[in-house]
Amino acid sequence: MASTPAVPIEEQLKQLNAARKLALENSAYYDRIVKGVLPVIGPTSSIELKRWGAEFLAESLATPVLSMRDKESLTLSVLDTLKSLLESEQDDAIVLKASIAAAASAYPVVLRWIIHNSYHTEAWEQTSAIKSRILRIWDGAPAPVRLSCIKFAQRVVLAQTTSNGQEVKYGGLDISLGMVPANHPLLDPRLMEAEATGLLDRMLGVLQDNSNDALLVDATLNCLSILIRTRPSTSNRIINCVLNFNPLKLANSPMTPKNKVLMKSMEKTTRMLMINILKRHVSSRDPNNQHSGRVQQYVERLMRSRAEIFDEAGRKRQLADQAAAQYGDLKRQKMQDASAAAPEPAAPAQPAVIPPLAPGPQTLAAVFTLTNNPGLQAFDATSIPANLVAKIVARTLNTLDQSVLDFAVNGIRSRLHTLQAAAVTAAAQYAAHGAAGLPGAINPATAPLGVEEDDDDYEPNLDAAEDTEQILNKLDNAPPETALDEYADPNAALGLGPFTLAPPPLIDADVASKLSSAAASRLFGPLSSLSSEGPSKKPKAGINRLAASSYDRDSWLTVATRLATRSTFGLEEEEQEEEQTSAVKSEEGAVSHPLASTFNQSIREMLFTYILEDWRPRIEVAVAWLSEEWYNDQLTKRTGLRNAPLHYETWALRLLDGFMTFITAQDKVLTRFLAEIPELSGELLGRLKTLCGDPNTLGLAMTSLLYLVMMRPPARELALDTVGGIWVEYEEARPLAAKYLSKWRPGWVEQQMHLQAAKAVAGGGGNGAAGIAA
Amino acid sequence: MDTANGNATTASAAPAAPAQPNGHREDPGGFKLKFCTVCASNQNRSMEGHLRLALANYPVISFGTGSLVRLPGPTITQPNVYKFNETSYDSIYRELEAKDPRLYRANGLLNMLGRNRNIKWGPERWQDWQVGMPRVKKETDKGFEGMEGGVADIVITCEERCWDAVIDDLLNRGSPLNRAVHVINIDIKDNHEEASVGGKAMVDLADSLNQVAKEEREKVGAAAFDSGSGAARASFDERVPEVIGEWQERWPNLPATWTLAWF
Repeated sequence: MASTPAVPIEEQLKQLNAARKLALENSAYYDRIVKGVLPVIGPTSSIELKRWGAEFLAESLATPVLSMRDKESLTLSVLDTLKSLLESEQDDAIVLKASIAAAASAYPVVLRWIIHNSYHTEAWEQTSAIKSRILRIWDGAPAPVRLSCIKFAQRVVLAQTTSNGQEVKYGGLDISLGMVPANHPLLDPRLMEAEATGLLDRMLGVLQDNSNDALLVDATLNCLSILIRTRPSTSNRIINCVLNFNPLKLANSPMTPKNKVLMKSMEKTTRMLMINILKRHVSSRDPNNQHSGRVQQYVERLMRSRAEIFDEAGRKRQLADQAAAQYGDLKRQKMQDASAAAPEPAAPAQPAVIPPLAPGPQTLAAVFTLTNNPGLQAFDATSIPANLVAKIVARTLNTLDQSVLDFAVNGIRSRLHTLQAAAVTAAAQYAAHGAAGLPGAINPATAPLGVEEDDDDYEPNLDAAEDTEQILNKLDNAPPETALDEYADPNAALGLGPFTLAPPPLIDADVASKLSSAAASRLFGPLSSLSSEGPSKKPKAGINRLAASSYDRDSWLTVATRLATRSTFGLEEEEQEEEQTSAVKSEEGAVSHPLASTFNQSIREMLFTYILEDWRPRIEVAVAWLSEEWYNDQLTKRTGLRNAPLHYETWALRLLDGFMTFITAQDKVLTRFLAEIPELSGELLGRLKTLCGDPNTLGLAMTSLLYLVMMRPPARELALDTVGGIWVEYEEARPLAAKYLSKWRPGWVEQQMHLQAAKAVAGGGGNGAAGIAA
Repeated sequence: MDTANGNATTASAAPAAPAQPNGHREDPGGFKLKFCTVCASNQNRSMEGHLRLALANYPVISFGTGSLVRLPGPTITQPNVYKFNETSYDSIYRELEAKDPRLYRANGLLNMLGRNRNIKWGPERWQDWQVGMPRVKKETDKGFEGMEGGVADIVITCEERCWDAVIDDLLNRGSPLNRAVHVINIDIKDNHEEASVGGKAMVDLADSLNQVAKEEREKVGAAAFDSGSGAARASFDERVPEVIGEWQERWPNLPATWTLAWF
């Protein structure tokens, strides 16, 4: 691998890369190749070669394929080159960055070597020189070099503090101060520990200064976890420092895209470190548990302030979106409409007395015409298509003020009364003058049914009492005149008799169930288009929430859950009873489903599918739904109806079964789900047992149960029974289960042991264990 | 580096064309960053990214962070579940094809698996990946070239959960290799269309980052220290957040998160 200046650099790099590939393919060549390239990458070589060399050294000293023994010989042989690279190369960040990374990998290896071979002073001197060189260039170096310096310092701290033995034994992570004998001729443990403390302070400086430099902050935070975890003497100092660090300081500076990235990054990285610590502490029963409360609070506070800061922007954007969609305007218009509609008619209503009918005969249209506006009076309502009329009428009735309606109805009523009173005279006149009065069937009490045809013939010769308008009106009203038959009944007088719609055509169960599932699916239609409020968006309304307070996804889901649970409250029972009685009569009674519950069931099915489609974020929906189910079940029980179906348990089980299929060890939502649903049962908790078969999810199941034991006293016995069941059934889960049981049910495990032993002695089968557990 | 500097470089750091056509492109050679794409099951989003980045001539590998490989089944409660590292894309393809060819063709699974089996052998789990293990026996993988060392410069995850899992895992590993890695999350919805959009966005991000890294490499020696403004002198690592910020402006619907972690 000798280099002659005649060979161009590209050619040399090609050869070097081929050599590297050889080493990667077969680790046995590492030693020879590394030693072979050392002269090529020396301080006098060109910058390209030095860069390549430094990076190759960093890679070789870190590679996981070599054993510690191989690495020792490799490391010792490169120290000299590393030192000269660091000293000769003042400027090039890439060479320095890689060389320092190589030194970080080399440091613990050399330390271990010196511990066992104290005669080798030269290696230690070289290493010390490398170390002091690195620590000297740390401040003021370009960012990539500083990154490597941080990491180098971390490795020195790791190697020079006492371990608690919880780290993995590879990559030199396990080399610690504990390995240095007190009387070592070269190494003084006390000095080394002091140096480590100083370096740690220097590392943490970037946090203490509340630096904005996310690169250095992240790099520091992301190498602290192992120190906290495995070097107890550092953990207090680090945790306190991180707890005092405010990653959201940048929030006050202008929100440029870059600043957003930096702030988000520092916040998330800090939070991840804290969560990692929390997780490790909970599982390892670390003495650092003292911090967990504070760490927890810190994490929560971070999340809140982050939500606030980023939410601000989110909210603004949403408003803009709404404006774009004319949604906000629409809303405002409505308000104006409502406010305009309410007082306005009230004001003119008082003075605008309904004008009494002109004396003399009237058309039906005239009787019902309340307006004085001649233009409106002339309007031909039949020119509007019937379906449009229906829409207008429905819309108008819907928005009409009750008092206005009453006023109008009373007005018409009084007109009709007047007419009725006049009818007597009219009848007399009719008899006297022989149909001189208008036979427009206005006086139903006196107009005989058959008169109409005659009247039509008669009309053209009508006298001036009726103008053309009225004639037109009358013609327009011709079709409904059949309805007058009803008024023709003398008994009905002129009062508006009760009107009944024609009964709808009978639908059979099939059609009904089809219709109800169609209705249910329409209920879920808007969900996809409704704005999804960000999860941390707005304050939870809690128990005060109203189903239809706003048109967003949450409210719509509340409507859906209530429709599913309550819409047919009280109906199911009857139908079930009916079904049962019919089942007695005919054998096939059970085939037909109760109509009412079909609707509910299809909503439930769709809710179920909706939740499972994306169950982690929708766990809240599941809890809300189950709470509604539970509430409804309680109401049902209270009514005391027999055979009333209870839904809570069924759906809780189905949901849980649904989640189980997808659950992974990180899914803490399970704990939350179990903690929040209104009622637990043995069967429900029994499903957790299936998780215990898999070592990955075992911890999750047990944590969930422990949470119930600690935080939900009413369910404590139930949860402990389940833990007991798990202890009996799952060998793997025993240590963890026994730990919980010994705390919460002292003596239980021993008792079980005795029982099992007794059983074994008695020669009975082992299948009764579960029974005993209960 | 302060904000003013960051803004000053905006123009110079902006990459050329953001969206690349879905196909090969000329290999410009030169320095290339090494990428690693990560999603939940190493099937859809990370594989789309893997393919796109490989077609753009970047060294790339891909992983999943889930406990198992989960693919949609006939109903929502019956997913098809496979083990990582032990099941090949080809065997999953053949199994699903035998189960219900119509369903799995209609929902795009067979199409996706067909693509994946031409990229590499099977889904790999992030947590089982031994960082730094040479990957010399994978010559047939797309994006193999340059990935022999078994490390990446940039990890791109496709979902916040995956990013969390990656960071948590790196914290647990304790960073034995002393090698810095930029971990970037891009939130991509898990469907074929979004994955395709996300793949394009990844190539755009990769191009922008690589451009900056290349510039750093091209500056040699003392010249690098004295040349021009502070922005021009800024290193690749420093410019990553800025590049992501600019990229985010171009892809506002794919929220990104970044950190610098250690292998």
